[in-house]
Amino acid sequence: MHILLIEDDERVAGHISAGLQEVGHLVDRSADGRDGLFKAAGEQYDVIILDRMLPFVDGLKLLQIIRATGDVTPVLILSALGDVDERVKGLRAGGDDYLAKPFALSELLARVDVLARRQPVTREQVRLVVGDLEIDLLGRVVKRAGRRIDMTSREFRILEYLARNAGRAVTRSMLLENVWDYHFDPQTNIIDQHVSRLRQKLDRDFAQPLLHTVRGTGYVLRADP
Amino acid sequence: MKLANSFSFRLSVTHIVLFAGSVALIGGVYYWLSVAIPLNAAKNQVRVEAARLAHFYEKNGREALIQQLTARARRPAARKAFHALITPDGKVLSANILGWPKAPARGWVRLEADLYWEGGEDDHEALVLDYALPDGTRLMVGRDIDDIDDREETLKSGAAWILGVTILLGAIGGAFMSVAIGRRIDAVSTAARRVIGGDLSGRVPVFGSGDDFDRLGETLNLMLSRIEELVESVRRVSDNVAHELRTPLARLRADLEDLASVERSLDQQTRLTAAIGEVERLESIFAAILRIARIENRSEQPDVVELDLSAILADAAELYEVSAEEKQIAFSTSIAPGLTVSGDSDLIFQAICNLLDNAIKYTPPGGNVALLAGEAAEYVVITITDSGPGIPASERDRVTERFYRIASTAGAAGAGLGLSLVSAVAARHGSTIVLGDDSPGLRVTWSFRGSGI
Repeated sequence: MHILLIEDDERVAGHISAGLQEVGHLVDRSADGRDGLFKAAGEQYDVIILDRMLPFVDGLKLLQIIRATGDVTPVLILSALGDVDERVKGLRAGGDDYLAKPFALSELLARVDVLARRQPVTREQVRLVVGDLEIDLLGRVVKRAGRRIDMTSREFRILEYLARNAGRAVTRSMLLENVWDYHFDPQTNIIDQHVSRLRQKLDRDFAQPLLHTVRGTGYVLRADP
Repeated sequence: MKLANSFSFRLSVTHIVLFAGSVALIGGVYYWLSVAIPLNAAKNQVRVEAARLAHFYEKNGREALIQQLTARARRPAARKAFHALITPDGKVLSANILGWPKAPARGWVRLEADLYWEGGEDDHEALVLDYALPDGTRLMVGRDIDDIDDREETLKSGAAWILGVTILLGAIGGAFMSVAIGRRIDAVSTAARRVIGGDLSGRVPVFGSGDDFDRLGETLNLMLSRIEELVESVRRVSDNVAHELRTPLARLRADLEDLASVERSLDQQTRLTAAIGEVERLESIFAAILRIARIENRSEQPDVVELDLSAILADAAELYEVSAEEKQIAFSTSIAPGLTVSGDSDLIFQAICNLLDNAIKYTPPGGNVALLAGEAAEYVVITITDSGPGIPASERDRVTERFYRIASTAGAAGAGLGLSLVSAVAARHGSTIVLGDDSPGLRVTWSFRGSGI
């Protein structure tokens, strides 16, 4: 993927771009808002990673300008300001996701991955399939190898989120944000407990597990081992 | 505010008492000057006359006295003269008054004296000395005191009216005064409450009249400005510290992650993982401190949104159900539908999560945890109880301090910031948290008044 990273801190930028390159992304770097704006306008990127506080042109201002030109490239905002208000401001300005500094590189990679391959929401999906797992979104029915699995509505929503992002790692805070719709770092293993419940129902009777733990990151729903 | 405790109420009562007291004093002085002194003068006059007439009787006998008395009655005077002379066996020898008491009074009496003149009749009041002459003859000598009596009557009947009107005027004056003073005091306390509530820009209005209240307001405003400056500088420092420390932390983490990404011996890998874990712990403690500080000091109001508290509580309960079940804790909830508060849903959710997390963490397996929410009077009240060891009464005030840990729980995970965050969130929403005893266990009562922020 082609990613534009606009971050003024040399070392943080180096760290992020090294991490992105390691998993096979192509990274362009900008150290200030003006340069970032030129780059964003000049080329089509898959994802833009944008620091909030930048020299010359502020991150949010830059985002508003990009959005005003009709550019819908997914934007992940990075900020040392972890407040709810700040997040709301960032998302209102046109950001697609918001990550508070400091963050684990794995968290950033997982979010970039999900952002870049986000399904366009124009066509409403009614059925998700991962290996032998079938999820009927309308009937809210889950079947594995033709066998129906009963689950609570929360478990269903966790599974749905994992299935929509099948093959991509999903972090605990992404689950809390997208399944529970609350934004904060849970700091405990509470999300793990919910996922492990779900895993029991999903994988207990089958030789081939679908729900995998990604060490240091979170979880992934994947058909191949 | 209790009426009797209110300064302005006491002030207006004092005002009424002083006002009524002054009027009573003036009335008393007037009574003394216009009634008591003239009456006394009249008494002296009568006493002197009676003594002189008694002496005259002894010297000149009864007939001479009767002549003397009749002459005295006819003589024109400022105070008309009255008399009666009665023999011991009750025969009236001479009199120009009527209605004296049958039994000799031997002292002062007041009689009604009707004066007849030119066909008219006039009610007059007479002050009469009832005097017994040595031979038993009863001599009554008096003077007309109708003018004094009239004044006394007027004063007596007027006193009730005057007192009533005085109290009424005093009450009105007192009310005006206390409203005026109360308004100034309220302005001061409103400003103080705004500052306590976190809006450090709150100031006491100054009217520029240069009066005592203005001077007090100016002094308080200077103090508030100073507080604002100090808080602002603390916030700047903590923000700077945050910025200065978070970046090196992020770099440390980056370096450690880089190191860990290369294949290494098991021992090195384990130590790197532990080091990254420690960095994460540092980062999360730091994030928590900053978050608490931001919640406490944020002066601009966040978007005030009406929140479905019932839904937030149900979400939090659902999030923790699993964890209670794993620990074999009976977790019961009773959440009234349709509860609303205004505020920040993420903050309230996180605070409830922290409380439930604590409740489940400290309750032994087989115990129980309950989450209740409902409306009482104009309060929305959330109660979380557990059957854990509770918090000793002596430590309940301190557990909301940053990093404070109860000695007996030193072994448990956490940095001692959970309840600090909860209390910051509660204060942010103008609500109160009370930690109490659920014997055994802890009872946390969180009350929102009206609507949140």
